[in-house]
Amino acid sequence: MLYLMYLYRNLVRNRLRTALTCAAVGLPITIYVLSMAVVDGVNRFLDNSARQLRLAVTHKTSIVNPLPAGHRAKIESLDRTGRRLVSVCGLRWIGGKIERDPRPLSTIAADKDTFHTTFPEFRLTPEEIAAWHRDRQAIVVGSATAAQFGWKVGDRITIHPSVPPFVPFEFHIISTAPNAEDPISNWFRMDYLEEKLREVRAPEGLVSFFFVKCASSEDLNHFRTAIDDLFAHSTDETKTQDEKSFMNEFITQQFDLPRNLTILAAVTVFVAVMAATNTMSMSFRDRINEVAILRSMGFGRWLVFGQIQAESMLLCLVGGLLGALGPYVAFTYTPLKDFTVPLIQYLEVRPAVCVNAVMISAAIGVLAALWPSFLAWRLRVVTALRNLE
Amino acid sequence: MSTADIELVGVRKVYRKERIEIPVIEGLDLRVAAGEFVALMGPSGSGKSTLLHLIGGLDVPTDGMVRVGEARLERMSERQLTAWRSRHVGFIFQMYHLVPVLTAAENVELPLLLFHMSARERRRRVATALEIVGLADRTDHRPNQLSGGQEQRVAIARAIVTDPDLILADEPTGDLDANTSREILGLLNLLNSEFGKTIVMVTHDPKAASHAGRILHLEKGVLEREQWNHRTAVEAPGAAWAMRGPGLG
Repeated sequence: MLYLMYLYRNLVRNRLRTALTCAAVGLPITIYVLSMAVVDGVNRFLDNSARQLRLAVTHKTSIVNPLPAGHRAKIESLDRTGRRLVSVCGLRWIGGKIERDPRPLSTIAADKDTFHTTFPEFRLTPEEIAAWHRDRQAIVVGSATAAQFGWKVGDRITIHPSVPPFVPFEFHIISTAPNAEDPISNWFRMDYLEEKLREVRAPEGLVSFFFVKCASSEDLNHFRTAIDDLFAHSTDETKTQDEKSFMNEFITQQFDLPRNLTILAAVTVFVAVMAATNTMSMSFRDRINEVAILRSMGFGRWLVFGQIQAESMLLCLVGGLLGALGPYVAFTYTPLKDFTVPLIQYLEVRPAVCVNAVMISAAIGVLAALWPSFLAWRLRVVTALRNLE
Repeated sequence: MSTADIELVGVRKVYRKERIEIPVIEGLDLRVAAGEFVALMGPSGSGKSTLLHLIGGLDVPTDGMVRVGEARLERMSERQLTAWRSRHVGFIFQMYHLVPVLTAAENVELPLLLFHMSARERRRRVATALEIVGLADRTDHRPNQLSGGQEQRVAIARAIVTDPDLILADEPTGDLDANTSREILGLLNLLNSEFGKTIVMVTHDPKAASHAGRILHLEKGVLEREQWNHRTAVEAPGAAWAMRGPGLG
């Protein structure tokens, strides 16, 4: 008990230094936890993509090069049975914003007739599908986006695209897709986009990419090569890959989020180690006389080594616990739990990540105390006592 | 009551600093009887503190033999010396060196953590030690709430709480005023006469040294002379043996 009391009182001996060190450990741990939540989200998103039995067909040169819309009929012709290819859907991304609101939107034009069969995970009701077919200005908005902007079914909204034709699009919300796995993106009809492009004489008949829904994983593997073979040596050669690989490549090409976030987390943890090492070194220097007296009393080298290690670990654990629990509570029990991020949708701070974070903070404590505890371990009591008197 | 005699034969201590050998103690022979109170005097650099450290097992001699009770310190490993110190030696320092974040009672309890002992037994021993030094009413005070004399009393309580054979005091009154010094020295005399502790005290102060039964004068690492204080020595247990024995070799 006295040991614990001694540890505790040593920690609160210099309250400001302790608080600053807790913060120096806690903040990097918070960054780590949030980074891992984003990485988790990306992986979740990719896993969802993998379940969809879909192929993504892009231009072989680059994803930014559009493909002719006419490719769709050629792809469909590859399935002579009519049972192996469920549907092919051309897509074109226009991004967008609403007037006087800086928040970016993810808005995508999709082929009218194959949208709901290619993306069944939206789980549109028959009434919503009927409304989609009936109204060329129909739009399905993501549930989180609808909540953010206060939109509801029946509302009329205007979106200003981020890419040509740069003219406002008037939409009628027909669904907020409450059951969809993607609560962010908004989907509207390709023919409405074509109409707008015609108005401004912009090039028509192009899509950013096709999504091809297959009936089985065998079909997926078959069409992956069949589609590229079909367009080989043409002016618009294709690159076909499963949706997970496509999304992974897209994320990697754009910002390589998982890798960069992991590096960021590692750097911040390293900074925390340096900050905590500084604190423990100063703490040891302040108390070198105490260490010498303890050693003279009969406290062995390993006991004082352990004492400094325990102090450091306790300090870093407190910082780490606060740093991990903060985002966990915020993103689990407060309105922040509805906060969405493009692509990865909801940020979910998993308890396992928090446990990892706490273990990392304990490791920070051990690393931070290595040098000062080694100094205490090798301290020559006689030399230290001579310096004291 | 536990007590120990001390014997040093042909002790040399040489410090090495960048290939230069600095002799601090040269061929010293010394016997201190169990229960004797000895003062070590001498100018700075004469080897007093080094001698104290050798007797206390904080340092080992370059040559020679150091025996305290049954223990041959020069043959012991550092781990053995550490364990031996915790059971047989109590140190008192000039600047007290109490742990500032612990109360008087907690400071005194600290050395008992090295023993397998119940919390109740530890508390009993701490209370007894603080009572002996006259601070039973200051148990919950932190060092910064105590006077210099009271801090040194706590340090003495800490030194005796494990009931060591030997108390080694390095300038215990060096930082205290005359009245407080007298109180502390009276306390050391009490520990020596009533509890039979063998005490070796380093001091510059002849008045402080006069409380000891024997005063040893060191000069350049050699025992120059010894001086007996018969009034004090005769009162001390074990003094008769010391006076009969060779004492200074």
